[in-house]
Amino acid sequence: MATVLPADLPARGAPPAASPPGARPPVRSGAPSVATLVGVEIRKSLSTRSGRSLAAAATLLAPAATALIASASTEELGSVTGPIGVMGMLTGLVLVALGVLSTAGEWSHRTVQTTYLLVPRRGRVLAAKAAAVGLLGAVLAAVSAALVTGALALLAGDVSWDGTGRALGVVVAAGAVFALVGTGFGAALANTPAALTSFYLVVLGVLPLVRTFKPEVGSRLDPAEAVLTLAQGGTPTQSLLVLAGWLGVSLAAGAVVTRRRAVA
Amino acid sequence: MIEVSGLTKQYGARTVVDDVSFTLEPGTVTGFLGPNGAGKTTTMRMMTGLVPATAGSASFDGRAYPGLPNPGAVVGTLLDASAVHPGRTGRTHLRLLASVVGVPAARVEEVLGMVGLTAAAGRRIGGYSLGMRQRLGIAGALLADPPVLVFDEPANGLDPEGIRWMRDLLRGHAARGGTVLLSSHLLGEVESTVDRLLVIGAGRVVADGPVGDLLGGDGAAVRATDPAALARALETAGFHVQHGSDGALVAPGAEPGQVGAVAAAAGLVLTDLRPVRRGIEDLFFQLTAAT
Repeated sequence: MATVLPADLPARGAPPAASPPGARPPVRSGAPSVATLVGVEIRKSLSTRSGRSLAAAATLLAPAATALIASASTEELGSVTGPIGVMGMLTGLVLVALGVLSTAGEWSHRTVQTTYLLVPRRGRVLAAKAAAVGLLGAVLAAVSAALVTGALALLAGDVSWDGTGRALGVVVAAGAVFALVGTGFGAALANTPAALTSFYLVVLGVLPLVRTFKPEVGSRLDPAEAVLTLAQGGTPTQSLLVLAGWLGVSLAAGAVVTRRRAVA
Repeated sequence: MIEVSGLTKQYGARTVVDDVSFTLEPGTVTGFLGPNGAGKTTTMRMMTGLVPATAGSASFDGRAYPGLPNPGAVVGTLLDASAVHPGRTGRTHLRLLASVVGVPAARVEEVLGMVGLTAAAGRRIGGYSLGMRQRLGIAGALLADPPVLVFDEPANGLDPEGIRWMRDLLRGHAARGGTVLLSSHLLGEVESTVDRLLVIGAGRVVADGPVGDLLGGDGAAVRATDPAALARALETAGFHVQHGSDGALVAPGAEPGQVGAVAAAAGLVLTDLRPVRRGIEDLFFQLTAAT
């Protein structure tokens, strides 16, 4: 009859490399907290070269463009809210890619597998990604907008600073919204090139065309125009609805696909 | 204990996993064996909730995988070693996993040491070989030192030394009371690691039992200076003799000792005598032909 060893007896004969040294490591017993997951998602976004490049581009592209245009242009700017809005939109378009990478990037690199093995409740993962990307979007947009404002103060000369506070608030919020729309697009299409191409094609290709022929339809759909209108102090209702629509539709589509898609 | 009951996966009219049931006991290493495309990976993905099952269920100590509060602490899973972001370093990758599983960052250095990747941990995973990615995947699965290990084709890309290392790791894990399920399409990779074989073909379990029972001695292969005389002597002694394609004689069901005794009694010179073990390929074709 074979000797039965107690289950917790360490294997003495096993080579040291194959047997974990000492007792079991301390392991948290419950599920990871939302704060933990959000922190992990922020680290994921900033731990790849593409993520860091996008974060740098989102922060620096708009201030660099502002400095270039302000120093080269001889025209009067009038008010700073226009340039702040345009530059905030530019930053937002970069931040879309950061959002897309956080969700679609996981499918493209197939890292969703490990992500969902450790957190099978996919809704929690998507919520954590949305919180992380929204936070990153707002922070990066804020830094970018601060630098844009500084560049305008140094280079723009005699301009009106009325409504600057509101414009800055709008572009920071727009940073979060655009990053979140990217998160939703990425989750819905589960493929980085497809999500990026379709978003930029719609916003930079289809919507400008629509605006050319039917301006009133274009302004009811275009998120970039909505940001500009809000930053320049226009009537907010329609612009807010446009942004809410983009946010709602992309995140809802992303949530549906996230829940159903098989990880093959 | 892991209980898989009636797991079935259909894609349209095609059934890739068909009513697969088995139970895994603590302290055992089970080899999940079958050719590529037999349904091993899909079964493991259904067990861990990555792919929804058409029918059936899998439970880990009574709970479905998605219902485990912290699954990484219970099941260490390695399904696809290449499913890592090539731009992160091995250490960063493991630190992210450690945060989600809830083990201290110091544990990352421990598992890196266990799999022999300490020196490579600061390099981007894009530059790792397949074998190094397998080791990284194993390191990730071991972070919480979970009682259950589920590995899909872990020997892929490992060199013979790596395969031996993995065998020691998995045997040691089972000796400490752990439960191991590892899949392979090559018997040779897992033969000496597993206690039990679960053979799957075309989506169905075709055999389930201890390795020895399924792959026991199946005869003797013998070469002699006078094969014709040896064949006559063996047939006279009651053995059935087949002529192998390479000139060797095969006596199914005979022990090498019995063949040697017949040859000695007849005064024949043997040049080669060895047991014939049934390969997994033979076993597999035999089992699937029978169903």
